[in-house]
Amino acid sequence: MVVAGDVKNIDGMLLVPAGCTLTERQIGILQAWGVAEVEVAASTETTRQHDPLARLPLAKLAQLTAELQARFWQPDATGPVPEEIFRLMLVRQARQFLKD
Amino acid sequence: MNPPSIQTMIQAIPRSLGSYGPVIEEIEQALQSAQCNLSSIGDAIQKDPDLTARLLRLANSPYFGFAARLSTVAEAVSLLGIQQVQDLIIASSVLDRFKGVPDELVSMNSFWRHSLAVGIAARLIAMERRLPRPDKFFVAGLLHDVGRLVLLSQAPVHARAIFDLYRQERIPLHEAELKVLGYDHQQIAAELLYCWKFPPHLIHAVAFHHHPSAGEGRPEAAVVHVADHLVGAMGLGSSGEQMVSPLDEKAWAALGLGVESLSPLVSAIDEQIEAVEEVFLHRNHGSRP
Repeated sequence: MVVAGDVKNIDGMLLVPAGCTLTERQIGILQAWGVAEVEVAASTETTRQHDPLARLPLAKLAQLTAELQARFWQPDATGPVPEEIFRLMLVRQARQFLKD
Repeated sequence: MNPPSIQTMIQAIPRSLGSYGPVIEEIEQALQSAQCNLSSIGDAIQKDPDLTARLLRLANSPYFGFAARLSTVAEAVSLLGIQQVQDLIIASSVLDRFKGVPDELVSMNSFWRHSLAVGIAARLIAMERRLPRPDKFFVAGLLHDVGRLVLLSQAPVHARAIFDLYRQERIPLHEAELKVLGYDHQQIAAELLYCWKFPPHLIHAVAFHHHPSAGEGRPEAAVVHVADHLVGAMGLGSSGEQMVSPLDEKAWAALGLGVESLSPLVSAIDEQIEAVEEVFLHRNHGSRP
């Protein structure tokens, strides 16, 4: 399933950015972290197979997200363009991680 | 110690374009001649074996993506066009001008990787936006941070003070430059390119790349600004700034591009950077700064 809005923990830390595809296992971990609900846009098996973010362990996804955020002067910039750039960079990092 | 004036620093930079100067002059003379033809331009380039090899490597790289392999300078000139070839020579000459800048504060490999990537991105954005002469934007992107090289080479004490302030106060590097010097690398680059007789639109692109909305609404600075932001986010080298500069959304809007153009743009930058880097920096694949 594709997350429609950013998923954050109670401290406001971004765990999963909007646009990521979640696996069943990742959903279980999010629940264990106290995330009660997420906004969902869509879900297909094909999307999951082709989305490198969906293939990452959730802890790794959260780590890559935090590392990427730390590199931006304005990590909380909202709007379609900054959000798409952030998502593309995260996908790029995920691909690199899965390749390594 | 008072900071040096921009003029003082620029006077210490050679005004000629170094070893490529004679080739550029010969091309300009050939262009002005009534008997100008591609063969005479090719002959001028072939006098410099390094330049010939560089031109052919670039012509056969993914940067241009020609299906057929080009094996002669004449073929390359006829396919790329004289102006584009001249731009590539100028780009090569600028890289040579700044050989020997100390690596202490900024890795020069990383600096040129960033600059080449911004050049590639700027050219791709200009092509997507269907702006005239997109190859010019490669030069604009390549040179956008050249003012920082002037600083590193001509005012090393102040450059160190700028980097100290940048780290202590955690402010953008160009703001640290303003605090220490009263001017920033954009102004230095604009003055340098003016002295080197670069065209006004190119100077404009470099002078306003951090604040494109202040640049009279011309697209050049917006193109370089967006290219710089994307390349910063991709982490392709660095000219000293370790953080990704904020995106001026007015600049993005001015380009009239859709969000859907971002993904192919990022893929194309990744596809071209290794080949272009190898051509200009003579580096082997695999060792990323």
